[in-house]
Amino acid sequence: MKNIEIKHRPSPYRSEISLYQISLSDDCFHCGLCVDVCPYGVFERKEGFNHVSTPNSALCEGPNCKAGVYHCVTKCPVDALKIDVNPQWRTLGDFRWTPELIVSTWQQAETGETPNGNREYKTGSSGGGFDRFDFMMEDAAPITPEEVERIDLSISLNRREDGPSVEIPVPWYGAGMSFGSVSLPTMLSRAKSAKAWNTFTSTGEGGYPDELIPYKDHVITQIATGLFGVREETIIRTRIIEFKYAQGAKPGLGGHLLGDKNTPGVAKKREAVPWTSLFSPFPFHSVYSVEDHKKHIDWVKSINPDALISVKVSTPSDVDMVAVGSYYAGANIINLDGGYGGTGAAPEIAKKNIAMPIEYAITKVHRFLLDEGIRDEVVLLASGGIRTSYDIAKSIALGADGVIIGTSELIALGCVRCGNCESGRGCPRGIATTDSELDQLIDPDWGAQRISNLYVAWQNQLKTLLLQLGLKKIKELRGRTDFLRYTDEE
Amino acid sequence: MYERYHIDTSPTKLPSTQIGKFEIIRKDNCFNCGQCMTQCIYDVHTREDRDQRKMAEPVSQLCKNCFSCIQNCPQQALEMVRNSKYESLGNTYWTPDKILTIWNEAEEGKIPVYGAGYRGPFKGSGFDSIWTDMSEIVRPTRDGIHGREYIATAIDLGRKLSWITDFENLDPPNIRVIQIPMFFDTDPLGLCLKNIILAIAKAAHRIGTFAYVNLEDYSDELKPYIESIAFRFPLHKAGHLDSVPWKKVNLIEIVLPKEFSSSKLEKLLVKIKKHNSTALISLGLPSHLLSEEIIKLIQASSVDMLNLYTDSYGNSSEGDMFISESIRKLHLNLVKRHMRDEITLMGKGGIAAAEHVPKAIICGEDAVVLDLSLLVAAGCRACDPCRIENCPAELKKVDSETTAQRIINMMCAWRDQLLEILSAMGIRDVRRLRGEVGRAMFYEDIEKESFDFIFEEKPLFK
Repeated sequence: MKNIEIKHRPSPYRSEISLYQISLSDDCFHCGLCVDVCPYGVFERKEGFNHVSTPNSALCEGPNCKAGVYHCVTKCPVDALKIDVNPQWRTLGDFRWTPELIVSTWQQAETGETPNGNREYKTGSSGGGFDRFDFMMEDAAPITPEEVERIDLSISLNRREDGPSVEIPVPWYGAGMSFGSVSLPTMLSRAKSAKAWNTFTSTGEGGYPDELIPYKDHVITQIATGLFGVREETIIRTRIIEFKYAQGAKPGLGGHLLGDKNTPGVAKKREAVPWTSLFSPFPFHSVYSVEDHKKHIDWVKSINPDALISVKVSTPSDVDMVAVGSYYAGANIINLDGGYGGTGAAPEIAKKNIAMPIEYAITKVHRFLLDEGIRDEVVLLASGGIRTSYDIAKSIALGADGVIIGTSELIALGCVRCGNCESGRGCPRGIATTDSELDQLIDPDWGAQRISNLYVAWQNQLKTLLLQLGLKKIKELRGRTDFLRYTDEE
Repeated sequence: MYERYHIDTSPTKLPSTQIGKFEIIRKDNCFNCGQCMTQCIYDVHTREDRDQRKMAEPVSQLCKNCFSCIQNCPQQALEMVRNSKYESLGNTYWTPDKILTIWNEAEEGKIPVYGAGYRGPFKGSGFDSIWTDMSEIVRPTRDGIHGREYIATAIDLGRKLSWITDFENLDPPNIRVIQIPMFFDTDPLGLCLKNIILAIAKAAHRIGTFAYVNLEDYSDELKPYIESIAFRFPLHKAGHLDSVPWKKVNLIEIVLPKEFSSSKLEKLLVKIKKHNSTALISLGLPSHLLSEEIIKLIQASSVDMLNLYTDSYGNSSEGDMFISESIRKLHLNLVKRHMRDEITLMGKGGIAAAEHVPKAIICGEDAVVLDLSLLVAAGCRACDPCRIENCPAELKKVDSETTAQRIINMMCAWRDQLLEILSAMGIRDVRRLRGEVGRAMFYEDIEKESFDFIFEEKPLFK
């Protein structure tokens, strides 16, 4: 695989949300001493200016400053400098995506580099599942870049004897997000980065916009219960066909695009009436048993015999049976979508309560497939609540082959998780919107590079982690629960 | 003629509940450039009416936490903080989030729907450590959002006839059907507020369920709703029964102390049966343990319902057993004695959100009794301890018609959410959900099942 270039892509906003807030009082006489003493460039006096610019608080490391605690504050001759914890910090994020995690994901998307030691970029603080797991590793010898380079992260998406062989160089690809739930520039950003990485992204169920055709080798066609925009040509075009039975955030409830977001463009792709609410039913009306499911797969295989089949299911207590059934019906990939996953709109009651979190489902299905003797013929991918490179590694250690990434890519594009994707004009940050003004906020090339940068950072983190565990390939990590440890509950 | 059950909602705003999660502060260094106005799509920022050169105070209520104005302000003059009023709502069980959710449901009558995934902790305690199940492949008759009207939320109250022994003298059991598995407690905190009691009784009457009214709380104002009123009194106050029109009601509940005289209770039951033979009789239990006397009464078909009392946090008077656990024990005890269908089992306490209703039913209840949630719908902030004299919501003054409509709105939202859960499971009748622990995943069980084998050397649970 050719190397992906990192390009610095800062956010388009004037200021970042930061943990520390630095203010200059009126006493400041712009001597510029702070500019000289700060090791991080928080203060700046622009060329030809007398005044020091408004401090860039986002760069401040607070008490972890390598020049010493409150170095600049104590140096200021007129006590004009103040560092506080930003009250705004607490308004960002939640248990799963903590403010630190959101900001560190932004940083990785901007720079392509792993945040330095002080910023949390591995886990959230939900108090369970991934957030309670930790890798056990010994303090190994210093790692050289050449060693990191040699680590193999690739996985195969077809482990059956027949059918085409499809390999992806990193153990993840992009989740389905429909045209309608997200904007076209967002879809393009994701498709461009998928192409650059030789991995995949998925159309979701809003049809296959023509703008994605140049990336067709890296776009999965999703067939979901509403069959919106599913046509023969979109099935023929693709290398992987994804059947979406259920979505983790709203298992058993189908989908719902609120009328506000169903613009004429979206409606045209979905062959529906503009500005009406569009419902995807649950379940497939043609599938009421595993035998029907087989017929379903045979149907698309007759249209496109060369495509791999992925089956996306949520995580009820009998998910292991469903996985085995899907395998015997001919699926190449089984995608488990856990209950805490992302969505463009879902009833709150469903996100929290229906179906189990992905962590449980992975081990359950992995073990069941092992017992059944078919584990090595099927690719098990986990999605729904996988936020960081460490979540990816933990999923694989629990038994998945790889993962599918949704929300993290949107965070890379600048999502703040305000949760207003569903109504009115949609996303105020221009991601999950169909508004013709708001969707201009994302430039596909900028977006693709941001996602790529995040991937570069993740790739390096995973490679380093594998080295520390003494492994050479990500495939060797699968099911290695012995590397995991459970931290105590506070 | 068949009528489809439907709850009529009507948006009902209450000024005292208009509290947002966040506050936007405009600092003094704002130079009125209006960049925030261009950025905000929710109209939080506007110019002042009188002086267009200046920006008006931000309308924090409308803010949806997107940070666009803050991140684009050239002066860094805008700041978002958590609203301290919001943070001070409720307590650790009735969290600010739960209260705000109920307020929104009571205002709009709609299911809370948002974008982006789940935000909360991995699991909580009590009902929040249970996940409900779903079915990937379900029967053709059910269809997610459509066809939901075919799911029944009605339940039967009273003893069911297991089999017919004597065809000559059929003794049809005394069964009543209510359309939602939720009862109302009109006075959960013992505040005796007339307007609130009236509002809850009205709401119960309009949506066809029962409202528990203490004897001393009854007044002639409640007369029009008498069919939907359930008189409730502790055994030692049975003497006061004649101060209310108990012969006209359909449900009477005697709340038992831990120890009581069974002969006194039996006499009372005979008296009630004699003058009001159609009323269902319920016993309020202080704990999940069934005494021999109560078992005898169930066997003799002298009582129709049991209601397990816990406080508004779901804790029993005994100690720290949460209602999900105590009700499971009581339910299983009845099953073991082959008398589960002889009796309707309910539980009062701990229901603070819509998702708690199906979970309580899974744990073995036929129906839940709502308590503090109804006051919250009326504007209550679940202060602990209650400061009714300085009530921030002025509960003493709230209008009973407004409150009744808010409770109805909330019930519509809660019923719809119950339908969501049932539809995801492929269950078409809430009666089938009772005691179905197989359709739920309990944190401890699933944690053991999925993770214990990984950590064989150091088990998760000793």
